[in-house]
Amino acid sequence: MEMILYSGIYLVGVFVAAVSQVMLKKAAQKDHGSAVREYLNPLVMFAYILFFLTTLLTIYAYKVIPISLGPILEATSYIYITFFGVTIFKEKLGWKKAIALVLIIVGIVVYSFGIS
Amino acid sequence: MDPQPRKLNSHAIVLIALHVLLLVYSLCGFFSKNASRQPFMSFEFCAFYAGMLAILVVYAIGWQQILKRLPLTVAFANKAITVVWGIVWGAVFFQEPITPPMIAGAAIVMAGIVLFSIADGEERRAEDAGGEG
Repeated sequence: MEMILYSGIYLVGVFVAAVSQVMLKKAAQKDHGSAVREYLNPLVMFAYILFFLTTLLTIYAYKVIPISLGPILEATSYIYITFFGVTIFKEKLGWKKAIALVLIIVGIVVYSFGIS
Repeated sequence: MDPQPRKLNSHAIVLIALHVLLLVYSLCGFFSKNASRQPFMSFEFCAFYAGMLAILVVYAIGWQQILKRLPLTVAFANKAITVVWGIVWGAVFFQEPITPPMIAGAAIVMAGIVLFSIADGEERRAEDAGGEG
């Protein structure tokens, strides 16, 4: 039970990291006028603060989850990125990508059966 | 003496560099896990956390350099290897057991990441060519 809770905390971290990536991409699409403003603007700074917070969430989750589970749970970022790609950036979702995402989810479930 | 060895082509060198970078990046988990075992904000915690952040900075810089020389798709497909490193570091440093479902699950996740990257590459090429899909 504890494992599920802390895995959930790790997953929140991965999700927030994906949100920060989307914010950075949004910021990159705007013209900020100068190189300094490309970094020192509210959207980019907030994105980096979010990313910084995810590192703390990761450490908190590692109190319980095994180190090997980290990269497995991180694979869910492909799901979030695809979701944001389709909803915000109006990208298409092809059947190959859909199968790939299903594989990632199935893999995580199978993996979780192996954790003692 | 052997004849002069053939020059490695630049693509292979970038791929090797990518894998060295991913190996270093995978150690992030090692530092996070160690930090998680220390009292919050203790000296040891800060030291491990600083190590983790240092790796992230090196990784961010290295990744940008790799992307200048390698298609995004290839870079992302190779990133799946971090799953293997996670299992290796867990066993080596933290005596975590390796079980058959873990290996099977990791293989399925990696297959998913590689397929995702291939599909992404195909979609990008189709867009660049101005085709449909």
